Amino acid sequence: MRLISFNYLQRQRLLILTLVLMLASVLFSITAFGFLGFYKTSNAYLGEREDIIAIYNTGSTTPFTGFIPLQLTTRIENISGVLASSPEITAPALIRGKSVFFRGVIPEEFSKLNPLTMLNGETLKLKDARSTVVGKRLAGTLNLAVGNKVLVLGALAERYLELKIKGIYESSSSLDDEAIVPLYVGQWLRGTNYETISIIRAKIDKSKWTPTLLYEAIAQKAEAPQSEGKTKPSPIEEIIPIPNIAINPENLDVKETQKFMKTYLDRYGMTQETLLILATAVFIFASATIFSASHTLIHQHEHETEVLRSLGASTKTLKLDLIFKVLPWSIAASLIGVLIAEAALLAMESSGVQALSHTIHFQPDPLLITLNILLVSAIVVLGIMRSTKKLKSQ
Amino acid sequence: MLLRKRGTVESMLAIALIVAILASITSVVNSVNSQAETMGKLLNVGETFLILSNNSTSITDSKVDTELASLIRNITNTKYVLTQKVFTASLITNSNCSTVLVRGVDTQAFLEARNAQIDGVSANDTQANVGEILARLVSINKGGMVTIAVDNKKVTVEVAGIVQTFAQSDTELIVTMNVANLLTEDNNKVSFIEFAVKDSEMAEIDSLRRLLPTDVKIVKTQQTQAFIQDINNQTLSFLSLWSIAVYATVTIASYVVATHLTQESSYELTMLKALGAKSALPFRLILSFTVVIALLGSVLGLAIGLSGAQIISTAIRWTWIKIQIAPALEIQQTAQIILFTLTSSVFGSIYPSLKAVRKTYAELSL
Repeated sequence: MRLISFNYLQRQRLLILTLVLMLASVLFSITAFGFLGFYKTSNAYLGEREDIIAIYNTGSTTPFTGFIPLQLTTRIENISGVLASSPEITAPALIRGKSVFFRGVIPEEFSKLNPLTMLNGETLKLKDARSTVVGKRLAGTLNLAVGNKVLVLGALAERYLELKIKGIYESSSSLDDEAIVPLYVGQWLRGTNYETISIIRAKIDKSKWTPTLLYEAIAQKAEAPQSEGKTKPSPIEEIIPIPNIAINPENLDVKETQKFMKTYLDRYGMTQETLLILATAVFIFASATIFSASHTLIHQHEHETEVLRSLGASTKTLKLDLIFKVLPWSIAASLIGVLIAEAALLAMESSGVQALSHTIHFQPDPLLITLNILLVSAIVVLGIMRSTKKLKSQ
Repeated sequence: MLLRKRGTVESMLAIALIVAILASITSVVNSVNSQAETMGKLLNVGETFLILSNNSTSITDSKVDTELASLIRNITNTKYVLTQKVFTASLITNSNCSTVLVRGVDTQAFLEARNAQIDGVSANDTQANVGEILARLVSINKGGMVTIAVDNKKVTVEVAGIVQTFAQSDTELIVTMNVANLLTEDNNKVSFIEFAVKDSEMAEIDSLRRLLPTDVKIVKTQQTQAFIQDINNQTLSFLSLWSIAVYATVTIASYVVATHLTQESSYELTMLKALGAKSALPFRLILSFTVVIALLGSVLGLAIGLSGAQIISTAIRWTWIKIQIAPALEIQQTAQIILFTLTSSVFGSIYPSLKAVRKTYAELSL
């Protein structure tokens, strides 16, 4: 008996099931896209390019709390195949009551790795001791304009300073939520001396170096004090003294920037897989409602199904027909759910919802959308099978 | 009668599981936030405060009365009190002229408070100390002469020492208050007052705040707590927005529960109408049934969510020793979850309840 052309399911009742499926899909999508957005934003924090590596202290518990000697910069910048190197220090601080991450850099070196588009004002120079350039999102959040003076209060060190906004930039990255200052200003805010920094990022010639090979080269150079007769001091050496000391390479490691960030996220169990499992768990918990809604739909059409059965339709035929009729609605529901979740997340993004003072970038993931459709469909099929079983037993 | 209906447990479980998601994630976020706050308390959170004028956005904009310093000196555990005048001036040396920040202060006390390393001595009324970075930038040496100019006023001083403080003063010219007063107007005012207390007891700072005029404010220089609080609030904001999706699911789950109930209780509702019950009675019955289901579901959900989070966090603790998560919910959060679940549930069940009430006797099937 063919039932396909026989529309015995009432549209209004079907819409309720669709609404349940859609909301479960919204919940799953917001959770999954939210978590993965945070994961991907964190991973891409220092750049996604494979030719940019990070030299860091392996003993630190977070990517920015470790210290390495600034002097290492002067030793690696002369290695052939190292195209640019940027010593950086990250300092948490407070401006106008809001948490802000400051990045202390040598602007000229930093721009080789992260070119910034100035939207307003001027670019920062190493000698700009009382100035800062801020990302466009940070400027928007704190209502900052070029020429404004701000009082910066340290979070990790007892420091206060006045900085003038010299420019507002756009980088299309997490940097848009940060403020950039000369390296030594970052060191003040972090509460360190002039000899220490958080990390060195370097751009390497991939045909000559891998992170492992570069580590070996750095280890060789680090152990021996720098050779005498250096022709010209680096720009930072003209401003702050850098003592010539031997460096212990055992505390150092070299990794591609994305892998460097991933190492720290993995350390706290924040992997792509665990976040996906968590999002799926949220969906499975919400799926009890889908079961209940499927059961209600079947129950609401008990009269119709009984008539069909009395006309010769087998339970199997009914079951297959119900699945066939409900599945397109469930797929549509999950897609609409994904769209609503994406719209909600974009609204959150534009309204300035942040994690760790950085805007989370939510991007739809094809894998997650497929997983969403599969999960919704699977739960609907299971729900119908379970409910029609009850019908049979009645 | 209605609670004995088939599917009651399922309905309760449907709501409980949704609440469990919210309870478990909120409890884990609470634990992470509380750990961050504890870490913030363990850190040396500072003992230095600034008194700035209330309308100022930065140091150079600020102007406060010099006399206020005497109020602070009355605090029993004061370490130091420094009135400071910070302003921009032209620095004229033999080779160049540049704009610099000048800090007028009791130089000796200031350099001691900063634990400064000094190549030379602290400046007197005919001298100046130069920050190490500024000295390198404008090529100033100890013993050299420099002229400081503000508009038409000029003062020539000797460089008494090059100082290193690992702070902004490394890029400044530090002079005595007398020198600063020669260059600026209104000698009864300073930019701000910096003071440090031995044990930064907030009660004492609060009592000082009450003594100060309303046009000034006290600002703590190290803002660890405020920073962590802001970061935690960001997570809680995301969680609050996310919970809207959870409560929307509770609303639709309650709609399904109420619809299912009206279907299953068709016989009882018809009998009630036939016996002359007013239309408000079935409405109340369905609504109260859903509320009871939601209440029991939310309590069960809280229990499932919390115990689930505890079990998982214990398992994680066994696997990754470094991670210590102690999921917990605050009382007001528990009350909030229950209240919002009930509200969402009532909202979701109103339409099916009204629909059941509106049905005429003839429409109801026995």
